[in-house]
Amino acid sequence: MNKRSWIGSDNKILPVVCIITFIVIIWYGFSIVLNAPWEYDKAKRNSITLSTADLVSQTWSQKRPKLPTPHQVTKEIWNTTVNQKVTSKRSLIYHGLITFYETIYGFAFGTGLGILLAIGIVYNRATAMSVMPWIITSQTIPILAIAPMIVVALGSAGFSGLMPIAIISMYLSFFPVVVGMVKGLKSAEQLEIDQMKTWSASKTQVLFKLRAPRSTPYLFTSLKLGMAASLVGAIVGELPSGGGKGLGFRMLSGSTFGNTLHIWSGLFSAAILAGSLIAIISIIQRVVLKRMALEL
Amino acid sequence: MKKFITFTVGAIVAFTASIVNAADDVTIQLKWVTQTQFAGYYVAQDKGFYEAEGLNVTINAGGPDIGPMSVLAGGGADVAVDWMPSALAAREKGFANVNIAQPFAGSGMMLVCRKDRGVNTVADLKDKNLYVWYYGNEWPFLSWMNKLGLATDGSAGGVSVFKQGWDILPLTQGDANCVSAMSYNEYWQVLAEGLKPEELTVFRYEDEGVATLEDGLYVKEENLSDPAFVDKMVRFVRASMKGWKYAENNTAEAAQIVVDNDDSGAQTVEHNTIQMSEIAKLTAGSNGALSEADFNRTVSSLMTGGSDPVITKTPSGAWTHAITDEALK
Amino acid sequence: MVYFWGAIVFWILAWGINIWIARQNESKVLSLFPPILFGVSVMFIWEASILQFDVSPVILPPPSAIYYKFISSIPILWGDFVQTAIKGALSGYLIGCGAAFLVSLIADKFKFFERGVLPIGNFLAAMPIIGIAPILVMWYGYGWQSKAAVVAVMVFFPILVNTVQGMKMSDKIHKDLMQTYNASYFQTLLKLRLSTAMPFIFNGLKICTTLALIGAIVAEFFGSPIRGMGFRISTEAPRFALDMVWAEITVAAIAGSLFYGGVVLLEKWVTFWHPSQRGRA
Repeated sequence: MNKRSWIGSDNKILPVVCIITFIVIIWYGFSIVLNAPWEYDKAKRNSITLSTADLVSQTWSQKRPKLPTPHQVTKEIWNTTVNQKVTSKRSLIYHGLITFYETIYGFAFGTGLGILLAIGIVYNRATAMSVMPWIITSQTIPILAIAPMIVVALGSAGFSGLMPIAIISMYLSFFPVVVGMVKGLKSAEQLEIDQMKTWSASKTQVLFKLRAPRSTPYLFTSLKLGMAASLVGAIVGELPSGGGKGLGFRMLSGSTFGNTLHIWSGLFSAAILAGSLIAIISIIQRVVLKRMALEL
Repeated sequence: MKKFITFTVGAIVAFTASIVNAADDVTIQLKWVTQTQFAGYYVAQDKGFYEAEGLNVTINAGGPDIGPMSVLAGGGADVAVDWMPSALAAREKGFANVNIAQPFAGSGMMLVCRKDRGVNTVADLKDKNLYVWYYGNEWPFLSWMNKLGLATDGSAGGVSVFKQGWDILPLTQGDANCVSAMSYNEYWQVLAEGLKPEELTVFRYEDEGVATLEDGLYVKEENLSDPAFVDKMVRFVRASMKGWKYAENNTAEAAQIVVDNDDSGAQTVEHNTIQMSEIAKLTAGSNGALSEADFNRTVSSLMTGGSDPVITKTPSGAWTHAITDEALK
Repeated sequence: MVYFWGAIVFWILAWGINIWIARQNESKVLSLFPPILFGVSVMFIWEASILQFDVSPVILPPPSAIYYKFISSIPILWGDFVQTAIKGALSGYLIGCGAAFLVSLIADKFKFFERGVLPIGNFLAAMPIIGIAPILVMWYGYGWQSKAAVVAVMVFFPILVNTVQGMKMSDKIHKDLMQTYNASYFQTLLKLRLSTAMPFIFNGLKICTTLALIGAIVAEFFGSPIRGMGFRISTEAPRFALDMVWAEITVAAIAGSLFYGGVVLLEKWVTFWHPSQRGRA
């Protein structure tokens, strides 16, 4: 009973397209509104009066706009991806791949650490009582402040390049995984745990056969958040690492030189990167949960 | 077996080659991202000046979150480019660093204000919104305000100070009366936005008598007791100053070299050529040796920064002429 | 060497005490000790390592220096706290949560909207704060409003995702039951689906408490008046006043933890029925 059709009840394309069109229209409108003050300022200083048509066309083509229009952003992305060699330092794809590797490493470390901590917390009360408050506290420490210290410290120990960035990325991504998995591992009903006991299941068996399956919805939600956090961590990690590579550095150099188009194109590339990675997790989630009959 | 022999022979050759070709390794940490502010080093590398001195130099670009002093302290670089206030502050806080050369004699810091927002003279600064960089660049500003008698806490009759981000947009699209700018970088960004020089009032810190020394070369003090290190630095400074003088006389070529070396792909030759000619004005007054008079001027400026001076004691041993004396012989 | 090994021995002893406490019956007073003991032993190891390995204070200051700086700068720290945490983070958190909740209710009622909004929300959420912050500061100026905007944008998506997921979690059998009671949409929403969604919603709320404070601090890096936690951290670090930086980090840690703790208490009160609250599962 799972017929898929173009306008089927499960289809995502039409709604997404509708909402995107709506957003684009509002976006063009806001471009005029946000970029107008600068146009008026320029006109005043040059003693020109602006007609509405002038205003619209000029706010849509400023060099450093407060809100670039969709076509400006698209053109910038096109110029820096399709029109550049992939190995060129001006290519967004080149920087995107660098950030991609950092994110994946950080995500892997973070998820691993998160799951291990969650198991420790659920199974060992001493760990739960002493470590959990500090895990939460660790996230309140602004990573942007600690990142340079981590890079310098690891640098003097001989680790540079990918490793410090992956560690910073791990720092941000392990937290959603821990929080979600602790909740998930604990969401097995007491009734079900008792039943496992009547079957004389060992602790490991309870973990793998009861708690782990029960925690999958929580796990996938956390993985999605963790992936986004890994990307943020990778980008934050790029800033103190020197080398001047990666999407984060690109956005920052755009900000440094007041090149708003660089900021927006970097932003969109990072979002596309994260979006694709999260979409992959979503697909895996749907397949797994359907097979486990937790989502119909 | 054949493969094993080839491998071993190759390894032996590579090993001996590395001993024979043992150029000294030097890592330099820049203060900011790759731009012609550091042209001397990139030119020296590209033109083979370092190689001619037997040096293998790695240039690490800086950025918004990289403190050259922290990198130096952590052992991530042998020599770092930094501004004197930052180095003196680090020295007082416990990190012994020493200035070994001062390629920049002049200061490029300025406060750029809009005439149409009411700032024409120094007297007009009262009750205005002033945007200032921090990150070690606030000291000349604070001591200038102290000199003018303007309180910086936003009270009436004083000024409202905002920590500027990394661009000049508050002047163009925000509500700033004045923003901080470097004569070689942000000033041109303001002009690129469409503001004309006659619409701007520019206060140069040099002219106001509150400038501090900017880009200089700093090393860890303990390294200076190693004669091999000192010799390396002498050669490095000699080649770097050669690079600077070349860059001053060949601005377009220097700009191209810098842009070719830029990893982020964000720099343009156009922007960097203008920057190079401005930088040349600041480096022209120096052959690399630190002027003691300039040093004392900087120190007195830093010690009178109002309620929160960056240094409280006159530093001693913070600079040395030993390297530049040898290098410029 | 004495200090260092002393610190290690202390850590082992503290861990032993924690294990003993864990075996006792749950008591509010006793449960305060493990985190404190753990934290204190880490502090000792930190202080001892700095002494032992002669770490320069411009790389990492010892906890004692941070403590002295902290108690001597309370007025500054308090002013920064109000500027960043209350005006920026808290207001942004409330705005973001409110907006996310409303949007997820709409998404729940109109499946068409949900299918469109979630992928786009995914996309928007993936925009890193390093890019969003300068843009929002450009739009909303240097005051606390831009920081609140950054925080609202940051917390919007996690809450949205968790709430939407939570709304779907009511078992089919419970939904059928409500149908047999002839419950209206709103009754089902209030009495069944919101309650079942609460564990997920709180999951999101907890994660966002820390995000909110971080967002406000990071946004201040891109422009602020001369007060605020982000301002203080970004300006004291280049001055090598690392003890002040860590004092601010401590304030951030305390504030964030209290915020998180507050939400956890709220969660215990609202979702008292969930297995994770009820037993030592």
